[in-house]
Amino acid sequence: MAWRKKLTAQKLVDFLLASLDDSNPSKQSLVDLAGGEPSPPPLSTPKPATPKRRSSRGKKQTEGDVEMADAEGGDTPATKDEDGDAAGDANAIPPTPPTPAQRALPETEAYAHLLVLLLLLDANDPECKSASVAALNRLSQFNRRTLDALQARIVFYYSLAHERFGELAEVRPSLLALHRVAALRFDEMGQETILNLLMRNYLHYNMYDQAEKLRSKAQLPASRSNQQQCRYLYYLGRIRAIQLEYSDAKECLTQAHRKAPKLAKGFALELTKWITVVRLLLGEVPEKKDLTTAVSGGAAAQRALLPYLELTAAVRLGDLEKFRAVQEAHEAAFRADKTTNLVTRLRRNVIRTGLRRVSLAYSAISLDDVAQKLGLGEGDGDVEFVVAKAIRDGGIDATIDHDARTMHSSDATDVYSTGEPQAAFHARIAFCLDTHNEAVKAMRYPDKVKKGTGDGEGKSAKDRDLEELAMHIMDEDEMDEF
Amino acid sequence: MADIATAKKTLDALKKAHNSGDAVKAASLLGTLKIAVSSFPALPPVFEQTKTAADELSIARDTFEMAVLHAVTSGNEAAAERDHAQLRPFYVDCRGLMPDSKLEPLITGLNLTRLLVQNRIAEFHVELETVPARVADSAHVAHAVALESDLMEGAYGKILQASMTPDALPAKEYAAFMASLALTVREEIAACIEKAYESVDAAAAARLMGCAPADVAAVASKRGWRGDGNGGFLFAEEKKAPSAEDIPAHELINQTLMYAKEMERIV
Repeated sequence: MAWRKKLTAQKLVDFLLASLDDSNPSKQSLVDLAGGEPSPPPLSTPKPATPKRRSSRGKKQTEGDVEMADAEGGDTPATKDEDGDAAGDANAIPPTPPTPAQRALPETEAYAHLLVLLLLLDANDPECKSASVAALNRLSQFNRRTLDALQARIVFYYSLAHERFGELAEVRPSLLALHRVAALRFDEMGQETILNLLMRNYLHYNMYDQAEKLRSKAQLPASRSNQQQCRYLYYLGRIRAIQLEYSDAKECLTQAHRKAPKLAKGFALELTKWITVVRLLLGEVPEKKDLTTAVSGGAAAQRALLPYLELTAAVRLGDLEKFRAVQEAHEAAFRADKTTNLVTRLRRNVIRTGLRRVSLAYSAISLDDVAQKLGLGEGDGDVEFVVAKAIRDGGIDATIDHDARTMHSSDATDVYSTGEPQAAFHARIAFCLDTHNEAVKAMRYPDKVKKGTGDGEGKSAKDRDLEELAMHIMDEDEMDEF
Repeated sequence: MADIATAKKTLDALKKAHNSGDAVKAASLLGTLKIAVSSFPALPPVFEQTKTAADELSIARDTFEMAVLHAVTSGNEAAAERDHAQLRPFYVDCRGLMPDSKLEPLITGLNLTRLLVQNRIAEFHVELETVPARVADSAHVAHAVALESDLMEGAYGKILQASMTPDALPAKEYAAFMASLALTVREEIAACIEKAYESVDAAAAARLMGCAPADVAAVASKRGWRGDGNGGFLFAEEKKAPSAEDIPAHELINQTLMYAKEMERIV
């Protein structure tokens, strides 16, 4: 996507003038939106992508970013010369102008709309909202599957434009209508994108139950692009966390974190925050290095994670006072991340952890001392109930002696005599098998690569060898049966 | 046509009847008022912009608020849930169209407490997320959140105490919920006693559960506690000798079969 930073209004206008027919209704409005001025003649004006690649987009996923990078490969000789004078023209690969057939394609027009949208969005121009609405209106006149990929991108930027300017709620009815249309036309890419956009919309306004209702009723389309799947898992993880289903939430969020592309640092940061809170709620304390050194993004990311680091420290110590201090100090940060209520729920985990430390350290301790250590205060008998509940929930292994008002910890039992090691093994084995299955499902045919004839022969020789080997192994297996 | 004046009069009469505790009259007035309100064109989801739109919206909202209060005081939880569901669009969608209701914190607090009493904790939290900051800081919602926190931690003493002293509650309407909450809490305490104590005598059990000794006997017989002869209860189990039944055979078989199936699968 490096060319996106180099996109200027002038280059865009050049592209628009060259690639759209004059009879095209959107042409003039697009040119106006882009600023209307073509670049001065002497400089070569590299086109962002050769038109031929565009029409072959077809059913490909939204790896549109990857495609752009491919196209940019052909560009670099030209852009290198741009910095200097026009002298470098001789080395530039002249871009192929679009043929008249390509100019008449609606895909070209859709692509032009998309480029204008990108330009306006990157410049934070409020015009982008109306531009996106116009683009969608124009595209709704067509019913071509080849337009699906472009339309999905345009819908995404439509929602983003409105979100940037705070008008997300107005977008909801049109998103719902678009989703209906996409489902009717079996437009899988559109369905996927719009479902994610709708969930984002609901979650933005904290309407978790509506998001969940939509997600449970909507059909999940079969083709999942990696980026969309990451987003979907993130939103699902958030909903599950609010609904108190922490194990599901943790699974979704960690999967999203794994699948996310390396460049998506902000996304990874958000995920780390949520994963930390969910892990704390589950009772496991994340390592300190997960929140400091292992985080990509450098100092800025670590600063953003600082409230969560302190939260982890407070929970690990089981110190209620410290927990309350952290909660108050970083309230603004938690509110911005929408994790305020989750953090409030952590109070119980703090108490539980503190109790566990006490029960491990002492074989018998009076309840008043327990209250003092936990910071619960002298709440006449409350500590007894808290300990009793912790014992009942299986958090600690102890008994209470009511008359003596003491808590006796039970001796640690031998773990290997229980079923726990098997359960732990089973979890890991199941995970490995799942990963294997997913990897197999995700396999794709390799791209056709042109090779010389010499290589061709060598390859087929290798193939023949492999086949022979396979035959031998199969024969051996058959022998073993006897 | 929207008959605003008569609706307003009925609404005032309803408020008076509710405040004076006249449940029957309140119920009948509520019925008439709901029918009148259903003919207003300016309500969601139609939102027709008539001249009297703001009036219609506020009358409708007040009607449903009174309906919720009435349902709560007469102990009808299902009706309270329905009326709150009808009331929610007025809070969420019509926020900018008319001045905020003074009863909103109370209604929200009551709804959250109702969810808590019915043990629908997940929905409680989802509702809590949708509550705006201004309402969330009010005493009512803070009270509901504190109750949930106490329930989760196990600070049952605080809850029982709160249910005994009605003055500590932010509003008298909570009293009905606190009674059922106290019952839930007692059940929880009984379950905790079973696990946490090896033995407990009757007086201690009564004190823990915050009820009279006679009730203790009733609970004990219901839960099957073993008596130790003195009126106390024993909970420690005899240690059984390890036998072949202790091995989770089914589970292990299932797991191993799954491994075999996955490994042998040809894709």
